[in-house]
Amino acid sequence: MNNEIIEFSSVSIGYGRKRILENINFSILENDFIGIVGPNGSGKTTLLKTLLGNLKPLSGEITRSKIQFGYVPQRDIVQPLLPYTVHDVVMMGRYSLMGIFGNPKNEDGKIVNECLSHVGIEDLKNQRYNSLSGGQRQRTLIARALAVQPRILILDEPTNGMDTPSHYSLLELISQLHDESKLTIIIVSHLLTDVANIVKRLMLLEKDHFQVGNIEDILSEDNLKKTYSSEFNVSKIYGEYLISSKKKV
Amino acid sequence: METIQQLIELFPYAILGSIVAGFICAFLGIFVISQRVVFLGASLTQVSVAGVAFSFLHLINIEGFFARIFNIDIEHNIFFQNFEPAFFSLAFAIICVLIFSQTYRQKYITQDGILGMIFVISIALRIIFIQKSPAAEVSEIESILKGDILFIGQTQFFTLLAVTVLTVLIFVIFQKQLKFVTFDPETAMAHGINSRFWLLIFYLFVGMGISLTTRFVGDVFVFAFLIIPSSIGILIGKKISQVFLVSVLIGAIIPPISLYFAFILDVSSGPTAVVLAFSIFVIAFISKKIFA
Repeated sequence: MNNEIIEFSSVSIGYGRKRILENINFSILENDFIGIVGPNGSGKTTLLKTLLGNLKPLSGEITRSKIQFGYVPQRDIVQPLLPYTVHDVVMMGRYSLMGIFGNPKNEDGKIVNECLSHVGIEDLKNQRYNSLSGGQRQRTLIARALAVQPRILILDEPTNGMDTPSHYSLLELISQLHDESKLTIIIVSHLLTDVANIVKRLMLLEKDHFQVGNIEDILSEDNLKKTYSSEFNVSKIYGEYLISSKKKV
Repeated sequence: METIQQLIELFPYAILGSIVAGFICAFLGIFVISQRVVFLGASLTQVSVAGVAFSFLHLINIEGFFARIFNIDIEHNIFFQNFEPAFFSLAFAIICVLIFSQTYRQKYITQDGILGMIFVISIALRIIFIQKSPAAEVSEIESILKGDILFIGQTQFFTLLAVTVLTVLIFVIFQKQLKFVTFDPETAMAHGINSRFWLLIFYLFVGMGISLTTRFVGDVFVFAFLIIPSSIGILIGKKISQVFLVSVLIGAIIPPISLYFAFILDVSSGPTAVVLAFSIFVIAFISKKIFA
């Protein structure tokens, strides 16, 4: 039996007086792999911010065991003008562990190098972050999140705007981090097929409603119709989910 | 050589003050540009000028208040004779950055929109404050409000130097936190660094630096030196250290050179410094286009 590391009890989330989702009850277990999907405006980002502690819940209770988060934001929100190197960016992941007056030590440098090698970009160490391709930037941000030495890794739309090879190699990396490094992973994406084929559990968000459960229980044509107000075919070919629209183009 | 000697004899603190003012503006400018809040610089210069204009109304005797607390004789204290305009300039700027630093929580108005409103309301208030000021000539007050490098005296120079040293120290001591929150505040927060607090510290020091330099060297100089040297640094520098080095060197070197040109051409020193800085930016930009 896996341990619960985060528990949402009757939680409502939103901004100010605007409630986006109400009565959320779910637990995140150790070594969990959850995909959060839903249409635009369904509250994916709000849920993520609440989960991270960046946004307070409007009501209810969130219980967290003492865990370190590693967060990978959407790549587009990190657009530096200054020429930070890949090493500089990954080192930022160590900052919260150094104390208020602490400075990077040899040990931090070693961990940064390990993280770079883990995501396969050790050769880019001295390159400027703002000169990298989308896929390389995403790997840098994942390395930065790993540098925190987290128990839980949260990724927000990691494959957005990537070319096909980078897209699949990144999904493979995320799966590897879960399988080999035994990390608990939460991935937010609007690409349902991507998420369905790598996660263990799925959370479907729609306005004022959400459901969470094992992938095989949640990923049904009925549930997708409720979530997206549109009809889908869900089929499994050679063990891979294939989700397509029923509308003929 | 003779002109340079004359300048050094006549305006020693103006030369030193212009170096420090250019340095601090260029230093803060790197962060302002990288945060993409350039308009914050423009707005803060106008807020600071409005603060100085407010001091001319003499509605609150702040000098008397502090003099009583610290038992100081204002008549014989040069620092306190110039205290009220600098105090209100700083107070207005701090209120402005406190408001601005909280605006990212709301979704109704863009930060640009908020800065635009702060910019115009500051100009409007300045005009109203001057019209209601008991002092004589509006044009005379306007010239005092705008500041001038040549009027930097010993007190102004040491005030500028103290603020510069304090700002650089804070940015060096807390470089980890400030670097992370200005690069990616959301992730910094998720990783346990309080972005709201550190961004507030960042904006407070930007506000303090801009308000005091605006008071002493004028709004045009400050806004230009927030943008131009740091833009040249970002254009030329291949590493963070090079960006800082190029920016602060240009920020510190151009003002005294422009004082020389202003002296021999008989023009204002502030605008001369701006034109000179912009010329260097154009040269750097063209060189980058050709050689990159």
